[in-house]
Amino acid sequence: MAERGYSFSLTTFSPSGKLVQIEYALSAVAAGAPSVGIKASNGVVLATEKKQKSILYDETSVHKVEPITKHIGMVYSGMGPDYRVLLKKARKLAQQYFLVYQEPIPTAQLVQRISSVMQEYTQSGGVRPFGVSLLIAGWDDACPFLFQSDPSGAYFAWKATAMGKNYMSGKTFLEKRYNMDLEVDDAIHTAILTLKESFEGQMTEDNIEVGICTETGFRRLTTAEVKDYLAAIV
Amino acid sequence: MFATQIHGDNGKMKEYHYTGPVEHKFSPYSFNGGTVLAVAGEDFAIVASDTRLSEGYSIHSRDSPKCYKLTDTTVIGCSGFHGDCLTLTKIIDARLKMYKHSNNKNMTSGAIAAMLSTILYGRRFFPYYVYNIIGGLDEEGRGAVYSFDPVGSYQRDTYKAGGSASAMLQPLLDNQIGFKNMEGVQQLPLTQEKAVQLVKDVFISAAERDVYTGDALRICLITKEGIKEETVPLRKD
Repeated sequence: MAERGYSFSLTTFSPSGKLVQIEYALSAVAAGAPSVGIKASNGVVLATEKKQKSILYDETSVHKVEPITKHIGMVYSGMGPDYRVLLKKARKLAQQYFLVYQEPIPTAQLVQRISSVMQEYTQSGGVRPFGVSLLIAGWDDACPFLFQSDPSGAYFAWKATAMGKNYMSGKTFLEKRYNMDLEVDDAIHTAILTLKESFEGQMTEDNIEVGICTETGFRRLTTAEVKDYLAAIV
Repeated sequence: MFATQIHGDNGKMKEYHYTGPVEHKFSPYSFNGGTVLAVAGEDFAIVASDTRLSEGYSIHSRDSPKCYKLTDTTVIGCSGFHGDCLTLTKIIDARLKMYKHSNNKNMTSGAIAAMLSTILYGRRFFPYYVYNIIGGLDEEGRGAVYSFDPVGSYQRDTYKAGGSASAMLQPLLDNQIGFKNMEGVQQLPLTQEKAVQLVKDVFISAAERDVYTGDALRICLITKEGIKEETVPLRKD
């Protein structure tokens, strides 16, 4: 297709008005491990598949669901190394905000700032877009928030969403299952079921990760807690 | 050099030495006087300042208040070098607008204080010659006062005086509001009426003795209903 001829430079538009590198970055995300986010009435749930290529991996030493501040956390689909760069930047941005205002950064502000960073990498020389989409969950004042941030720098607020492999069927599943009165426990259950839809093989507490964000802050569930939720499904 | 003889106080001749022409370096600062005061109550705050703007032995204006309204619940008092007071308040206003646009809400008093500290320290090596005191209501509706030095060191207080007559006002407030150096006295909480009267009294006293303080007193009373301004005349000499 004519598009191919315009994929050599990030900063060149194709005739149809697309920046092909960003499209390719989104393909990298769609090929990544599935992740799910659900906003409940009293919190937000993030979950992701963490399949290891070999049983020799020490899965406790690296995590996908990570806290940014006490009240905000995130997960991704796509390239792990790119994620770690953004995670570090997000943590620094959150602290910079606190330094000036002595107040914890509102979730929307953090998302806006990190998305701004991702956009910079689509309009600068010698760089490529980040190969990740982020799901950011936070709790400000009395409200839960769930945002998605894409390689293009676009960001969206969601009630529930899925990213990565088979995200379309994940989203369809969530459309049927989501309602406004879900509580965090139900949301965790629903998130795990959504992941199960596209999961190959047996789901255990070692090959998925779950994080929750409530009034008391953001935390990653322990493998023991995940095991309990899995037992409720099987 | 020439030595011209002048009579001194005790009748003897005094030596006067002519040192030659002296070059004066340009000073980026000047002192425009003025005194500011802020008091925090249970559910109110007061920010008051005199309205005299001076330089040396001259008066630039008798009607230049040093209280600037920032939000519906926060007022800042700035005294020192008037040029820096104006620039600083403009910068604070701009930052408040930017925060409001991106955060969709007004800055709290505590956030304004923290931000001002970073703005002042940003000029650590060419400071804003301004003594700031912020007065307002905190997020729980209680009175809050934050006092600063020219390079951004700050803390939350119950009451604070700043500017040219601060050394005269502060000890009196320590005694009347802080009950310092008093024994066997019933420590009643400060009411709004008593606080306003106290502010008027201390400024009247300051105007008696400090040449840079006088003309009029502007009082900003901050409550959850909003900000009320009151102007009271002071000595004009």
